[in-house]
Amino acid sequence: MAADLKNVLISGGTGFVGSANARALAEKYPDCTITIIDLNPPRQHALPDGITFIRVDITSAEEVYDAIMKVKPDILIHTAGIVPALSERFGRRLERLVWKINVEGTKNMLEAAKQAGVKGFIYTSTCCVITDNMDSPLPNIDEKWPTPRSSLIYGESKAAAEAMVLEACSKTLATCSLRPSVLCGPGDYQLVPAIHACIEKWETPFVIGDGFNLWDVTYVTNIADAHVLAAENLMTSKTAAGEAMFIQNNEPITFRDFCLAIWDHFGHIPPFELYIPEGLAYIVGLVSECMTWMTRTATTLSRGSVRDACSVRYASGEKAKQILGYEARVGIEDAIRLSCEDYARRLGIELPSKAKQHKE
Amino acid sequence: MGLIGNAVYYSFHPSELRSIIQWKVWHTPVHERQVKDETETQKICFQFLDKTSRSFSAVIQELHPELLLPVCVFYLALRGLDTIEDDTSIPLKTKEPLLRDFNNFLEKDGWTFDGNRPEEKDRELLVQFHNVVTEFKNMKPAYQAIVKDITKKMGNGMADYCRKAELEDASVKTVSEYDEYCYYVAGLVGEGLTRLFVESEFGNPALLKRPRLHKSMGLFLQKTNIIRDVREDNDDGRRFWPKEIWSKHVAEFDDLFKPENRDAALNCSSEMVLNALEHAEDCLFYLAGLREQSVFNFCAIPQTMAIATLELCFRNYNMFQRNIKITKGDACRLMSESTQNLQVLCQTFRQYARRIHKKNTPKDPNFLKISIVCGRLEKFIESIFPSQSPEAAQRLVKGERTPEERRKAEEDKEAKQELLFIMFVMFIIVCFVTAIMLAFAWYFGARFDLAWQELRQGHLLPPKQTAHEEL
Repeated sequence: MAADLKNVLISGGTGFVGSANARALAEKYPDCTITIIDLNPPRQHALPDGITFIRVDITSAEEVYDAIMKVKPDILIHTAGIVPALSERFGRRLERLVWKINVEGTKNMLEAAKQAGVKGFIYTSTCCVITDNMDSPLPNIDEKWPTPRSSLIYGESKAAAEAMVLEACSKTLATCSLRPSVLCGPGDYQLVPAIHACIEKWETPFVIGDGFNLWDVTYVTNIADAHVLAAENLMTSKTAAGEAMFIQNNEPITFRDFCLAIWDHFGHIPPFELYIPEGLAYIVGLVSECMTWMTRTATTLSRGSVRDACSVRYASGEKAKQILGYEARVGIEDAIRLSCEDYARRLGIELPSKAKQHKE
Repeated sequence: MGLIGNAVYYSFHPSELRSIIQWKVWHTPVHERQVKDETETQKICFQFLDKTSRSFSAVIQELHPELLLPVCVFYLALRGLDTIEDDTSIPLKTKEPLLRDFNNFLEKDGWTFDGNRPEEKDRELLVQFHNVVTEFKNMKPAYQAIVKDITKKMGNGMADYCRKAELEDASVKTVSEYDEYCYYVAGLVGEGLTRLFVESEFGNPALLKRPRLHKSMGLFLQKTNIIRDVREDNDDGRRFWPKEIWSKHVAEFDDLFKPENRDAALNCSSEMVLNALEHAEDCLFYLAGLREQSVFNFCAIPQTMAIATLELCFRNYNMFQRNIKITKGDACRLMSESTQNLQVLCQTFRQYARRIHKKNTPKDPNFLKISIVCGRLEKFIESIFPSQSPEAAQRLVKGERTPEERRKAEEDKEAKQELLFIMFVMFIIVCFVTAIMLAFAWYFGARFDLAWQELRQGHLLPPKQTAHEEL
């Protein structure tokens, strides 16, 4: 594509997705000036050389304004946000904090972008804007799906912010929103570690529900590719302006198989399988919630997590393909392998060799 | 299996017996042959069809009258070609020109061939081939051209193969050679049939614009047969599994059949199944392009049989020990399900894909690939027959309901209230009975105050009886 990206600002740029975006941009456009604003200084995620870091708290309108006016970027990629930890995901305890960061933070970014004459604004949304509503299975959904009236604090806040971003689309400021599904990849601290932890807790033989519910995860470099494509689009044809698009690997597999594949990389195959009906698991979740409420500890098993594990969630992915020309460059098989290798390195363990393991 | 064997088998599998009876009693063909209007040569052609094909004869004879004879002649022409190719007693220098010229014989009045060895099972077809020639010439010129063209392509493909087998090594090495082999023996048939369907306007012309689809139809069937028949073929000295696949699992092809290589053989066969499953999506896509019921049935039956056979073979070690096939009851059920519409067929495909999925194990090096291919098939089915619509979801968000949904919601509410009421009554009864029992116990001197004290001290069980009494 003939787009020329010269000056890009990434919020949340030291995080998991933000840093991946910075790396992808720097790779494709080595001459592009990249500025990162974040609450946290660069930490565990690698960043390309030559970027500028400005410490900004996005909930502060002044800090955001100052930083953006100073940089005056062509493209602004807004990835900063908060994802509540799993234990807080289904509750409402953090609601105010989550709204403050995800909604007000986005509002600050948008206002500043308008003032600074930014041409393209890309919002890193999430598929949760639709899929956090767990009342019904969501196979092969597309962007025509409505946002539910209520879901979970994360999905609700992201949906409100997304609506704001798309509303702000104008002739001078083109905006679009990308909705990645659950992410994995090197530097992931949530998904693969949580699934890996099941081995130690002896949880691997238990299958909740029928085990056929499909998921479509997103590898981190693929979502970064989508951001670069969106940036190019907003600088050239602008066909993505005002649009929200689901981004995923476009290879739905069952959640169970995703877990099995990860455990297999760590040399673990469940010795047997026990299927627990969803209804029963739901009751166990309820009991567990009562117990945690009484003992005041963090929830691990809950009604929400049971429904999370049983739900069908994948999107068609056609829109992103047509508008952005997005296709996953890293397939799910490699995605899982690379994620596991990275996590094993962090844990300081060596993965059993695949070839040897299967010859036995 | 004798009569008694059957009786015992079906008394344990009543649903299979039901399927068989259902198919035999309820199945009415969309079209039937009008035997009384047929000429002598036509009758002879159908007799040969019965003799040479067990699986295809019935479905061909239920085809729409427009296509009945063309498809029958097409089948017999290819069968004739096959009979020459299979005969190892014919030397290459006679065989090659016969194969390459076979398409011209179709137009040669009175052409017959008696050069086959006596034990060749379809020898008689070629001895009386003039009947097929007569019927070929009676077909519409457009159909003639199609049948002739495919016969020519297949004849040349076979001739090339025989040449290669004689002069060098013709064993299937790479996966692309495997695809090419399957294309010549089955993919071409798919092409010919598709052209016949489109010519007769029973098929969507778009089917010809996507050659990948009809190619997949043939390849899916052929690959399934090659997987299922591995033992039988190997016993007869034929090998079709590509070296590129089996060499990943065993050093020599024969090692697949050794008991000590059981796991390797299973992994190898599942890689073969994976390779075949890659075509399943295309097959459903193709079937969506057919416009006439008898043509749909004709194409759909072999496809569902194929996916059921793949499911049977998947991680089933028996396939390396003996010939396996789907049971008669299952076959009848599959035929009923394949002769309705695409949606029912898709359900069957999904059902078998899920069964394959369920047998999949992380011990298999292709575990994830198989999972992906099953997921893709489900997604594809969901895309052609969505289980829900964005419009319905919109309505749900806005709180609008269709009258039907409203009625259902009301019914649900009533049912729920009834259930709650029954539970409430049960609860009252339980409380009442408990109260009576406790009252009786108290009346006869039970010390609840002591029991309560003990419980509060954490003694959940009565004190253990000491065993000193015996001393």
